[in-house]
Amino acid sequence: MGGQACVLYGGAEFSRDTDLVVVADADNLARLAKAAADLDAHPIAVPPFERQFLEEGLAVHFRCRAPGVAGMRLDVMSRVRGLPDFETLWRRRTTIDTGEQQIEVLSLPDLVTAKKTQRDKDWPMITRLIEAHWTQTPRPAADAAVDFWLRELRTPALLVRLASESPDATRRVAVQRPLLIAALTGDEAGVARLLREEEDREREADRRYWAPLRSRLEGLRREHADRRRGPS
Amino acid sequence: MPCDDTRPPNDGLPDGLPDRLLDRGEWSEWYALTPLERLEESSKLWHAYLELGGSLDPEPDTQSPFFDPEEWRAIALDGRPGLRVVRRSGV
Repeated sequence: MGGQACVLYGGAEFSRDTDLVVVADADNLARLAKAAADLDAHPIAVPPFERQFLEEGLAVHFRCRAPGVAGMRLDVMSRVRGLPDFETLWRRRTTIDTGEQQIEVLSLPDLVTAKKTQRDKDWPMITRLIEAHWTQTPRPAADAAVDFWLRELRTPALLVRLASESPDATRRVAVQRPLLIAALTGDEAGVARLLREEEDREREADRRYWAPLRSRLEGLRREHADRRRGPS
Repeated sequence: MPCDDTRPPNDGLPDGLPDRLLDRGEWSEWYALTPLERLEESSKLWHAYLELGGSLDPEPDTQSPFFDPEEWRAIALDGRPGLRVVRRSGV
């Protein structure tokens, strides 16, 4: 669901870790534990690999030791801000057939939503993911693709272009994304300014979402450090 | 949904793209690959990165909610196998 998905969709060239979104039920976590054992993967510090922490929205981090993947990091989550439950994500997923195996990847719209974080590095990634989709999509584009671009494009020139090509759809989606009105008037600089404001709002929403979870993590780290120090 | 694994239409770029795409530079070439081709190219980068001594340790991502300064310090103290700084600026 993270950097590797971005590689497959064209937004990134390389990722050093692998992010997974999983169902946090007992059976599936047992399967995940077995897969982790195959990779000789061990949890890193906190939180421990327990259902409770995944259900709280925290990520469990593993580092692999098996030959061929030694050092690789796996991050596992079961809840992602802004995304629906796993069943819905699974129904919407993209499947890539390598000839040897199938790789199940978060759908592009879901991946874009997952990338709307407080981190600087995620925003250029969103831009590239959608530009890649724009580039790869056959023309004339289906209505669903046009709607996706209108909702998510972050390239002012493309938004202005799209608004002039699909004015009715643009006016319809502008109800949810008012910056499209500036795109309809051809105001590229205005679109750029409104995109920055949109990004700022999402970053702030992400910070608010994570504030209690960060506190929770800090508490777990303190407990972990106390246990390592032993009784005083 | 199944992934469209075919090459993009006209093997090129639609009109109206920003300059950085129209110059058919690094990113436009990458966009034009299929997902499988990107997977293969990324795998090559992965192997080259490791052969050059690159580390799989996470970057110090201070903006991540998961960033743990203590974990990062421990990694930094361990050093990175295969990589040796031979010159450093004044900072």
